Amino acid sequence: MSEVAAPPSTTTARVNRAAWYAGSVLAAFLVGGIVIVLLGLNPVVAFESVITTSFSTGFGFVETLHKWVPIVLCAYAFTIPLASGKFNIGAEGQLLVGATAGVALGITGSDLPPLLLVPAVLIAGVLGGAVWSGIAAFLMVRFGVNEILSTVLLNFVAFELIDYVASYVWPDRGAGHPATIPVGENAMLPGFGEPAVHAGVLITLLLSVAIGLAMRSTAAGFELRATGANPRAASVHGIRTSRLTAGGMLVGGAVAGLGGAIEVAGVHGNMLEGMQSNFLILGIIVGLMARGNAVAVPFVAFGIAVLEVGASAMQRSAQVPIEVVLIVEALILLFLMLSDVLRSKLGSRS
Amino acid sequence: MTEAPRLQMTGIVKTFGPVRALNSVDFEVAPREVHGLLGGNGAGKTTLMNVLYGLYRADAGTIELDGAPVTVASPGDAIAARIGMVHQTFLQIEPYTVLENIVLGTKAARGERFDGPKARAEITELSERFGLEVDLDAVVEDLPVGVRQRVEILKALYRRSRVLILDEPTTNLAPQEVDALFASIRAMVDEDLSVILITHKIRETLGVCDRMTVMREGQRVATVTRAEATAESLAATMIGETPVTDPTDGEEVAAAVVATGLASADEVAAADAGAVSTAPVAVRVTGLRVDNDQRVEQLHGLDLELREGEVLGIAGVSGNGQVELAEAVSGVRPITGGSVRLGDRELAGAATSAWLGAGVVYVPEDRHRDGILPTSSITENLLLGSQRSTRVKSRGLIDWKAARQRAVDTISDFSIRANGPGALAGDLSGGNIQRVILARAFAHHPRFLVLHNPTRGLDLKSTEFVYEQVDAATREGACVLLLSEDLDEVITLSDRVAALYSGRLIGEWTRGQTDHYAIGRAMIGLEAQDV
Repeated sequence: MSEVAAPPSTTTARVNRAAWYAGSVLAAFLVGGIVIVLLGLNPVVAFESVITTSFSTGFGFVETLHKWVPIVLCAYAFTIPLASGKFNIGAEGQLLVGATAGVALGITGSDLPPLLLVPAVLIAGVLGGAVWSGIAAFLMVRFGVNEILSTVLLNFVAFELIDYVASYVWPDRGAGHPATIPVGENAMLPGFGEPAVHAGVLITLLLSVAIGLAMRSTAAGFELRATGANPRAASVHGIRTSRLTAGGMLVGGAVAGLGGAIEVAGVHGNMLEGMQSNFLILGIIVGLMARGNAVAVPFVAFGIAVLEVGASAMQRSAQVPIEVVLIVEALILLFLMLSDVLRSKLGSRS
Repeated sequence: MTEAPRLQMTGIVKTFGPVRALNSVDFEVAPREVHGLLGGNGAGKTTLMNVLYGLYRADAGTIELDGAPVTVASPGDAIAARIGMVHQTFLQIEPYTVLENIVLGTKAARGERFDGPKARAEITELSERFGLEVDLDAVVEDLPVGVRQRVEILKALYRRSRVLILDEPTTNLAPQEVDALFASIRAMVDEDLSVILITHKIRETLGVCDRMTVMREGQRVATVTRAEATAESLAATMIGETPVTDPTDGEEVAAAVVATGLASADEVAAADAGAVSTAPVAVRVTGLRVDNDQRVEQLHGLDLELREGEVLGIAGVSGNGQVELAEAVSGVRPITGGSVRLGDRELAGAATSAWLGAGVVYVPEDRHRDGILPTSSITENLLLGSQRSTRVKSRGLIDWKAARQRAVDTISDFSIRANGPGALAGDLSGGNIQRVILARAFAHHPRFLVLHNPTRGLDLKSTEFVYEQVDAATREGACVLLLSEDLDEVITLSDRVAALYSGRLIGEWTRGQTDHYAIGRAMIGLEAQDV
């Protein structure tokens, strides 16, 4: 922000906004605490383990970073199309198809050298995710099919697809539940340090910077945002809005697909049913908490990853069910929305 | 006066946040009176009437009808108190018939069922009595604006209004329709109604009103009878003591004078009868065919030519193909047939961005819908359309710092009233939004400028500003296609004028030879004019 141009009110407005944000987070923890008390348990012990687990041990921190990757990528899958006014609710389907494509390449190409195979697995994931969101984008642009419906429904198709692949194509009979056989050693992302952090974290970090810059300062990013702000005005001023919204959906799906491939090649080593976890909903929560701002997404996602990792520690140490953390996350979002309403009410009164 | 006034509003105060929109306003309307409520944009006249109609709740003040105090907290209360209002934008259910729209929301008396034939007879009688001709079984969405207005008036009459508020009723009417409306208004006051006419057109006011109240900056500044009023005195009261223009500059005065509807535009135009331009042809449109949004053809092979530096004015009542023409020749709407050439370049079929790149710049009629990104900053709005141009970039990325600096400069050059370049476009007033749009348009260095109702809803100062910008553009050799419902505006600004009726251009009048009523007749299709 150039100091020359910024009117003084912007800074106060920003401080004001930050205060409301912090207030919402605190309020959510407060209500979560009340829930824990009602359960007859100790909220202080519970929240202490939620917040400190990620930072007290090396394992906790690495687990947090590994959790952060799919959350960030699913959040981008949601916010990039959202910038143009389109809702991609299909990140988990796109992630699973990306994982399927990655695992297919990882298994069939296991003889290839890592330098070739690892990028190939990631690219396969990107393409898989893009194909999946591309179906919704095509239906949207060509026939006007609502993208919310198509992306949600394609999630269910993806569940059946991975079930088929894990049960019939490359089944691991010994796993006890639908899972594929492992990808070759050569398909695995390299790790760094001890305990090892997989290279997917670095890739996600670089991608976050690139996406933040692209949304802010490239013509395409500006056009996406302009289309979201007012599609009519955007097209009157020469922006090809349908091409652009389709592009946003494709990129969103590609990012989620990359997340799937990274999960395969960095965390699981194979593809298994349920690997999408709750990344779809967390991605949406993060995207909304970041208010669609691409720069804020990785930071908010880190906060959510901390909570998610802390959740299981909390269950062990304070016997509080994991779900309480999801309640807190949802409450943060609800309080944020409430604060918007309150703020505009107060603003109009003063 | 022995009789109690029909309406007496006393000490009305209304604030919006820090803005005092109405500052202790007194307003009185006599029985059987047509009362003009005059003022520029933001003078508070519509706010005052919205208080009367229950759309806003006043912070202080009282309302009396025929001497009895009333509380109007909602439009329901207003209707019960027999106050009717016809808004600028009609609140009608489009797929319903006229009859259904009129009876909708009225209640039959307790214990009675709705009596369709009775309502029909009653409405038919009203429409005959007041000269408000309308087919009760027509579907509203098929009707032109003038007829839809009659439906709104009938709605108010059917609810037995004794006070009828008309908000800028003549905006979309042809001169002949205006005369018919005024005749209906006279018939209403003869039948014991009082009519309040919100307007900023002084000439009309003098034609129909018995008294007028002038408002400025949220205050009532004067109430005068028609006998006491002159156009000049009303205009002076409306504008305030300080003259808005330097009286030595003839053209600006002309613009201001016409904007208030003070003088017949013919006089202004006649004073400045220019020679027909002999500059080279810049834009040539031949056989233009264009569909509307419902894929019905609206322009059936239209031809026109513009020379460099020339303003071609298109007069007409909206709905005769204006939107289609404006959007087609600016590359926004697909062309189904014919050609649009800029210089020797054929643009038909090219993408919108190619038109923009060639120097075709469009200033749309609906500024909020087509012109701005409401939730984006002024900086971003000014950038819209040039985001791919190399002059806004450094090292392949948009240079926001430079863009912000340009926005700062633009805000001062175009006198945009805003809280810095980061202010959201949607928070600006109509006049300031139009300034942003024009600033952006001129940053493209237009060769062909398409203006559609460029001053609608703007106050005098902003209107004048638009006229100055049009002038500046033509001096730099751009040609301008001006489509406007404001006939005075078209006549003042244009070197040539044609009327658009049913998708066809009718007649052509050059500057100095314009005839208000002849153009008016052409606008409503009364004659195929060739002058």
